[in-house]
Amino acid sequence: MTTRAWSAALVLVLAVLAAGCLRGSSPTDAISEDELIWAISVNDRPTHELVAQAWNEAHPDTPVRIEWLPPDANEQRRQLFLELNAGSSLFDVVSMDVIWTGEFANNGWIDDLSELRDQVEGNSLQASVDSCTWDGALWCLPYSSNAGFLYYRTDLVEEPPTTWPELVEVGLQAAEEAGISPYVAQGAQYEGMVVNFLEYFWSAGGQIISDDESQATFAEGDAARTALEFMRDAQRNGFYAPGFNTLIEDPARLQFQRGDAVFMRNWPYAYPLLSGEDEENPSAVAGKFDIAPLPTFDGEGTISALGGFNLAINAFSRKKDLAREFILFASQEQDTQMILGRRSLPPTLQAVYDALADDPAMALLSEVLPEAQARPPLPTWNSISQAMQDNVFPAYNGTKSVDAAIEAIQAEVEDAVSIGGQ
Amino acid sequence: MATATDARPAAAPGGPRPNRNGISERGLARLFISPSITAMAIVALFPILYAVVLSFYEYVGLQQGGFTALGNYVDALTDGRFWDSVIATFVFTVFSVTFEFLIGMGFALIMHQAFVGRGVARATILIPWVIPTVIAAQMWRYMFEVTPGFINWALPFVPDDFNWLGSSGWAMFTIIFADVWKTAPFVALLLLAGLQTIPEEVYEAGRVDGASAWQRFTRITLPLLRPAILVAMLFRTTDALRIYDLPAVMTRGAFGTETLSVLVQDFVIATPNPGFASTLSVLTFILVLGVGVLLVSVLGKELVLGDEA
Repeated sequence: MTTRAWSAALVLVLAVLAAGCLRGSSPTDAISEDELIWAISVNDRPTHELVAQAWNEAHPDTPVRIEWLPPDANEQRRQLFLELNAGSSLFDVVSMDVIWTGEFANNGWIDDLSELRDQVEGNSLQASVDSCTWDGALWCLPYSSNAGFLYYRTDLVEEPPTTWPELVEVGLQAAEEAGISPYVAQGAQYEGMVVNFLEYFWSAGGQIISDDESQATFAEGDAARTALEFMRDAQRNGFYAPGFNTLIEDPARLQFQRGDAVFMRNWPYAYPLLSGEDEENPSAVAGKFDIAPLPTFDGEGTISALGGFNLAINAFSRKKDLAREFILFASQEQDTQMILGRRSLPPTLQAVYDALADDPAMALLSEVLPEAQARPPLPTWNSISQAMQDNVFPAYNGTKSVDAAIEAIQAEVEDAVSIGGQ
Repeated sequence: MATATDARPAAAPGGPRPNRNGISERGLARLFISPSITAMAIVALFPILYAVVLSFYEYVGLQQGGFTALGNYVDALTDGRFWDSVIATFVFTVFSVTFEFLIGMGFALIMHQAFVGRGVARATILIPWVIPTVIAAQMWRYMFEVTPGFINWALPFVPDDFNWLGSSGWAMFTIIFADVWKTAPFVALLLLAGLQTIPEEVYEAGRVDGASAWQRFTRITLPLLRPAILVAMLFRTTDALRIYDLPAVMTRGAFGTETLSVLVQDFVIATPNPGFASTLSVLTFILVLGVGVLLVSVLGKELVLGDEA
């Protein structure tokens, strides 16, 4: 053989060796056989860590390890989508936003848990159980719940307003006197903005689809117009803080915590932080703020979008029995759910609300949660949400007409309803 | 490209000749390159062809419906959102490549000079290019945001509450700015490599003939730099047409910054429709290929296809 042929042979051998090395070092091999992997959002990280710790103390042989998902709901879904769509068994327990149940179930990504229904019903909040129900089956167990609060500065505002127009009026005036911004919330183009929009929409009497899920009713009445025009005006007249259209949850919380806003719409997780409970993260508004239910357009009652995480078992998991044990532990054990309650991450176990009735955030939650509205659990919810992101955002920023936006969303809801049952 | 260069050594004196074991040298060459050709076909050609096949099918969510032939293409080409993203992609490409080229050329000329601290200057200029794009995008988003608002604070003539990322026009500006910041050093690197191949004697001859500095730049540097310029432009343009990370992180595609790749990705994950997503990918592929071919034919066919072409 010539030298050239020899060197070619050598290259071939090296290539085969290299390929062997690559195969040997795939990430799944690093995971211990007995370890359970739980994927959940990095938001409220210390709370989830305490839950994992409680499990690990009770089950030292089969510990749980948390894989953190990004803080933004769209990004969380993206990551789970990529894993589950590829049939990956990397995550055993997946945390689903309340709106993903139908889609994940339809795609065959999660296991049917209907035989656990008896253990859950009556113990967990009904709205949360409903968000786990799709097509007559139970697909997950409720872990945390969520509802929007109106945070307001007690040193600048005497009574929390009960209507949206009043909120604007009071906010603009107080902000001018104090030299800060009137209102921060979730205004960037993402699912969080959809939630904010729906709270205006629902509180103006709107309904996205009919109760029997057969008709698109988004454009009926003038709720969509009322909500969109309210948002557009708030953006124009400076009620929304500068940079409102790039804000998500935590930047909004930081701005309020620095004392730079009069009002904020945010989830309960902000309450302990604003109270200054985290020493490394001092609060300029500790003792100077309070919480109230979100306003409506007519001043009657309150409406919040129901949020939260439900725990499901990855259909491709190799540790399903253990995963089932873990989600029962996280959702049904009172001690576990108390961990959430003490840290202002809304629990889903009814008994915890009774036990923690003295906590102001918990007390407000028991008032707000029964009125909370769930987004429709259609498998096609994400297309509706996407249409709202693509249309509500330009409409409130004044780059698209309100009429065109309503028309485009209605068309998408009609599509989603017509293929929803598949 | 690959076949044109591979053909050259075989055309060497002697030509194809049988060697001792009976296989011709050309045959041996084919044998040796066949594994890499196979690997290329599996990793590059197959996905492209598969995307073309998928683009002819209708989907509902992730479930495949029927064969629709060109139905997805008709939908895409009559969709305003598609054309908006084509415009966004081209606006981004034209502005970012132009500025990257001008600034990169400036950097290259500076780095080519002999001066004290040249090594440090070269290293400094290259720092932005080493930072991963997603990180750079996060960083610039943070800088441009109203709170804490570093950019607004640093620029004296800009109001403190100026909303760069959340206003039409300026949103695209921030993305182009971040891309130029990040990629101009890369262009500079390519051009510097070109500058270093120009023999010093040519400049000396120019000086003897009395050419001014500007004349030496336009008559000597630019023409001799043409191969490097072509490579830099080709790389940057095709790359810029596929831009995803900067708009995805900095603006989420709001305010006319939804580029083709952001749009494609939307139909892969946000509202999954593999058929339509493949259609958009194929259209993007055709677009990038078309622009690439155009650039090559304008700037110099002989540089890519070899001297004989």
